[in-house]
Amino acid sequence: MHCQGTGNILSLCSVVAVRHASDSSVYVPGGPVYKGTVNDPITFPPPSRSAGSYHWAFERLLSAGLIPLTAAAFVTSGTNYPVLDGVLGVSLVMHSHIGFNSVFVDYLHKRKFPVLGPIVTWTLRAATVGALAGVYQFNTNDIGLTELIAKVWTA
Amino acid sequence: MQSLARRFSSQISSNARLFSTSTVALQATPVQKSVMNKEFKIYRWNPDEPSKKPTLQSYTIDLNQTGPMVLDALIKIKNEIDPTLTFRRSCREGICGSCAMNINGQNTLACLCRIDRNTSKDSKIYPLPHMYIVKDLVPDLTYFYKQYKSIQPYLQNDNPPEKGEFLQSQEDRKKLDGLYECILCACCSTSCPSYWWNQDEYLGPATLMQAYRWIADSRDSYGEARKEKLQNEMSLYRCHTIFNCSRTCPKGLNPAAAIAKIKLELATE
Repeated sequence: MHCQGTGNILSLCSVVAVRHASDSSVYVPGGPVYKGTVNDPITFPPPSRSAGSYHWAFERLLSAGLIPLTAAAFVTSGTNYPVLDGVLGVSLVMHSHIGFNSVFVDYLHKRKFPVLGPIVTWTLRAATVGALAGVYQFNTNDIGLTELIAKVWTA
Repeated sequence: MQSLARRFSSQISSNARLFSTSTVALQATPVQKSVMNKEFKIYRWNPDEPSKKPTLQSYTIDLNQTGPMVLDALIKIKNEIDPTLTFRRSCREGICGSCAMNINGQNTLACLCRIDRNTSKDSKIYPLPHMYIVKDLVPDLTYFYKQYKSIQPYLQNDNPPEKGEFLQSQEDRKKLDGLYECILCACCSTSCPSYWWNQDEYLGPATLMQAYRWIADSRDSYGEARKEKLQNEMSLYRCHTIFNCSRTCPKGLNPAAAIAKIKLELATE
């Protein structure tokens, strides 16, 4: 940086220099510090369909599929159709997983929360695996999801 | 002959009197408009005093001595009350997008926003929400422009026609209506909660609508590459169809529909 001239400009230059020094030490995502010059375009993350369109299409189809699944479980009995009960249980867990994960991507992304972000993401994954195992156990060794809801409903 | 001319001219003067000769008493008296004071509360922040917190400063002006739009009020305040009030403005007719700001809780262009004539309520004017502020009502749009640049908002085609210009059917041209009119005022992007939280990664409605404007263009042959860029978690898919963008657009455009069309094209290709 060229810092020549009168005292006023000198002090301004030193202020700017100090700001630049502190800026380069920590990059805050989305902060007032820009990567590159103001004329450089932003960069994109590497393309990944599983994080992009496949994920979106799967999420939408799953959400839409839950409507007929729920209706089918409502009119039939889980004891007679254990596969339907199982599919409904797995779909609900995956639907919830995608929903919670979306919340964490929005509000607790690891670029902004380097410690908390991975913790909640892995907690969610563990909880989803646990819930899937629980659904399997409950549907094979107990009355199953649909019967449980029917029982709670009439209780 | 001379006497005839004199008589003719005297006839004119007696029948059709010139305006310059009319007496004051015969002129219509200007109607004295009543005073109609309204309070404007405007966000103030000065970068020269960074330790001072931003405040709302109150100005009261007579609406009967002001133009009909909020921009007229701002200019009047700057001219007559407080010359330090800082805001961007240029065309005053809603085509440049400079005077985008948050007026009574809604992002809009000050030049297209009528002043609420209800004087019992004040009008609150803030800069565009969730942006870094340069001064008063001036937000820093550098990152917004960097994002716009990243989608390469210009025609790309490796096989230009050998002679003349690109030809386009009327149907193909129609696909660009409602997209090309965007003036990049950033009202929609800064009204989007997803853009508030993830501004550094999510492109925002304004940029995504322009991305679709070039994907939809029949003359552009880089559609696949344009779409491939958006195939990630953050750039496009942080849109959760909140629709604040379409609701706030001062030009009446529909960025949410453009984003939905990108999502559909990505999912069905």
